[in-house]
Amino acid sequence: MATQITEPVSVPGVEGTASVPGAAPSRARRLARAVLPGPAPGANGAAMYRRWWLPWLWTAPAIGCAVVFGVFPFFNTLLLSFTDAKPLGGAASFVGLSNYTRMLDDSDFWLATRNSVLYALIVVPLMVLLPLLLAVLVEKNLPGIGFFRSAFYTPVLASSVVVGLSWQWLLADDGLVNTWLEKAHLIRSAIPFLSDSWLILLSAMGLTLWKGLGWYMVFYLAALGNVPKELHEAASMDGAGAARRFWHITVPGVRQAMMLVGTLTGIGSLRVFTEIYMLGSSTGGPGGADRTLPFYIRDVGLDPITGNAGYGSAVSVALFALTLGLTLLAQRLTKEDES
Amino acid sequence: MRAGRLTASVAGLIALTLTAAGCGLSGGSDSGDATAGGCKVDKGNVGSGKLTGDVKGDITFQTTNLKKDFGDFFNGVIKAFEKAHAGTKVKWIDDPGDATFGQRTVADAQACTLPDVLNVDSPTATALTKAGYLLDLGVKDPDAAKPFVPAFWKSSTMKDASGTSVHTVLPWYTGGVLLTYNTDLLKKAGVDPAKPPTTMFGLFADYEKIAKKADGKYFATMANPVWRIPADWDQMNIKTLSADGRSAVFADDPRTAQWVAWMAKLYKEGAMPKDSLSSNNDPSTLYSQGKVAYGSTNPSFVRFVKQNSPSIYARTAVGQQPFDALGHTTAAPQYIAAAATSKNAPTALAFAEFLTNAENQTAWCKDPNVVIFPTTTTSLDDPFFQKTSGDDPFSQARKLVAEQLKTATAYQTNISTAVLTAIVGQVQLAMQGKKSPEQAVKDAQEKADELLKQAG
Repeated sequence: MATQITEPVSVPGVEGTASVPGAAPSRARRLARAVLPGPAPGANGAAMYRRWWLPWLWTAPAIGCAVVFGVFPFFNTLLLSFTDAKPLGGAASFVGLSNYTRMLDDSDFWLATRNSVLYALIVVPLMVLLPLLLAVLVEKNLPGIGFFRSAFYTPVLASSVVVGLSWQWLLADDGLVNTWLEKAHLIRSAIPFLSDSWLILLSAMGLTLWKGLGWYMVFYLAALGNVPKELHEAASMDGAGAARRFWHITVPGVRQAMMLVGTLTGIGSLRVFTEIYMLGSSTGGPGGADRTLPFYIRDVGLDPITGNAGYGSAVSVALFALTLGLTLLAQRLTKEDES
Repeated sequence: MRAGRLTASVAGLIALTLTAAGCGLSGGSDSGDATAGGCKVDKGNVGSGKLTGDVKGDITFQTTNLKKDFGDFFNGVIKAFEKAHAGTKVKWIDDPGDATFGQRTVADAQACTLPDVLNVDSPTATALTKAGYLLDLGVKDPDAAKPFVPAFWKSSTMKDASGTSVHTVLPWYTGGVLLTYNTDLLKKAGVDPAKPPTTMFGLFADYEKIAKKADGKYFATMANPVWRIPADWDQMNIKTLSADGRSAVFADDPRTAQWVAWMAKLYKEGAMPKDSLSSNNDPSTLYSQGKVAYGSTNPSFVRFVKQNSPSIYARTAVGQQPFDALGHTTAAPQYIAAAATSKNAPTALAFAEFLTNAENQTAWCKDPNVVIFPTTTTSLDDPFFQKTSGDDPFSQARKLVAEQLKTATAYQTNISTAVLTAIVGQVQLAMQGKKSPEQAVKDAQEKADELLKQAG
């Protein structure tokens, strides 16, 4: 409820007095009314809230951060991609499209692109589906379910380096996985999880999935709360089994969440670095065969001595285009599916 | 109207931000009348001529991950310097020294905010020297060389933009290099622990004997070649780069392909754990379990074994690193550099020299928390490094390294991480049998050349 000021008010430590009702409000007070939260007195209070610049004022810090840390670096990268700039500065020359034409003939670039795309193609569908199954599993309020929810979420909290080291121990020739398989007489010699380039890539994907399941499970738990229970009950009464209810009620009900998870994991998969570094070392697997695009950008663009920031920027632009392309494609396919 | 104002405001905001960000990136102080690496600096900091000026004012001193364990020591050194030079103040910054240290330092350099005195490793020093961000100490103080072991000082050079070797760093401390081995495993394979090999291929032959005897139950060494390149090649006096550092030449020496062939053979024969090819190459765990015959070449490894695995320590001995064709060892020192962008360069230079003088080096190397060795001549003669008590491998290690450091040189070859990665990758493929050693060496040289070419 609005409080009318009926008498001049002295504020300790502040010179002058507040204005009398009916008199024209001071400039400071008008500004305070416009900016400070809470209802303004008088009939024109609502109008004060509609100052055109007020939303911009509130969002200025966010816009500033976006410009400094997003917009500017993006355009800077775009500009650098047409130069032969070095990481340590110095004179950079305009080289036209030569960085882009170099990419076309660069077999290491294409290998990294293949790895990144494969990563996305395998990880995204699994990351969209598996956390949903996990969420359905822990959705019901059963005794002790909190323990399982926490357990599934724990890998999210662990640092990527710690998780990477744990997986190294698990997947080593004399690690837990190989030891178990050998003891179960399923294998005769150790599976080379850490020395075969394909297995390193697949193991890294496994690591990404394991670490992300809990995170996206929480997304789906929130989405599942919006799926009407009545639909499930009605379908049950009509004889629909659990699998059928899942495909025809749960999945359509969380479609928006699935799109979000798909987009986020798609972008994340194309940017993967730590998992490859932890399991494939600084070379990105034997012979660099497991390098992804961010790994390759580091190698060619960021080295202080031999890096070429121009070429690294061109590869970054290619990565951006790939990410944007795949995201738009996924959205289009989803829309077609919906229609 | 409102829309117009809105557009103008947004455009203004963006312009301001871009301008501000642009200023930050381009760097450049507004004082001084010469440039170093794109930053305006005092004329005396660059070019020929001894650095003159009063030792006074504030400087920053950056180390990498030393504050936690050695805070008292460095605070003592700083206090002593400030006492000896009234009117000076040293602000100590301790960088975590993680994987992005080089990139952070490069960003500081570009912004003209490099610390006045900084602890740098070889790749970072190489990059900063090439871009002109460090004081040429050999020129700015012709007496700078005096305290250091001559061979060490002479080899502690980096190449400037023109490819000329310059002294932009003071050698600080080094870990040394030696052979550490499990005598039981060597004897089983018929290798005499008392007679360490004198060549790299001799060492490889011993690895092979161990592999044959072990039959997969234990190993001779770790597989990842990343820690052998270019150290082994340097030891064999194989030139990795051309004299001006602008191209790779290691493939021109037939011994490089022989070296790769040995590595491939040893990997195939089981001298190395298969899963260590491109992953963790730290032998600590396996050595402590008696599953690998040769440990790390760093003397601090001997102390690690002593503290963590007494039973294996009882079977451990140390031997001199094979000197091979080079005739002495190459150490991997940490360096101290002074920034050419310093506003108090005389103070920065004085502090760098004070920190690395014989007295301070000896004092720090005696700290029980470290196993490091000084690079100053008088320090190496200290009884602490020369005194050996009985057959204790740890004491033997200290003496061996102190002896070798009198003739040791700093890195023979400074290669970038990217070049190293490119070479290592090809060697790994040869070790897996996916390429012949000759082809791997040829491809490695091509990839290295491509990177060196783009660096200009």
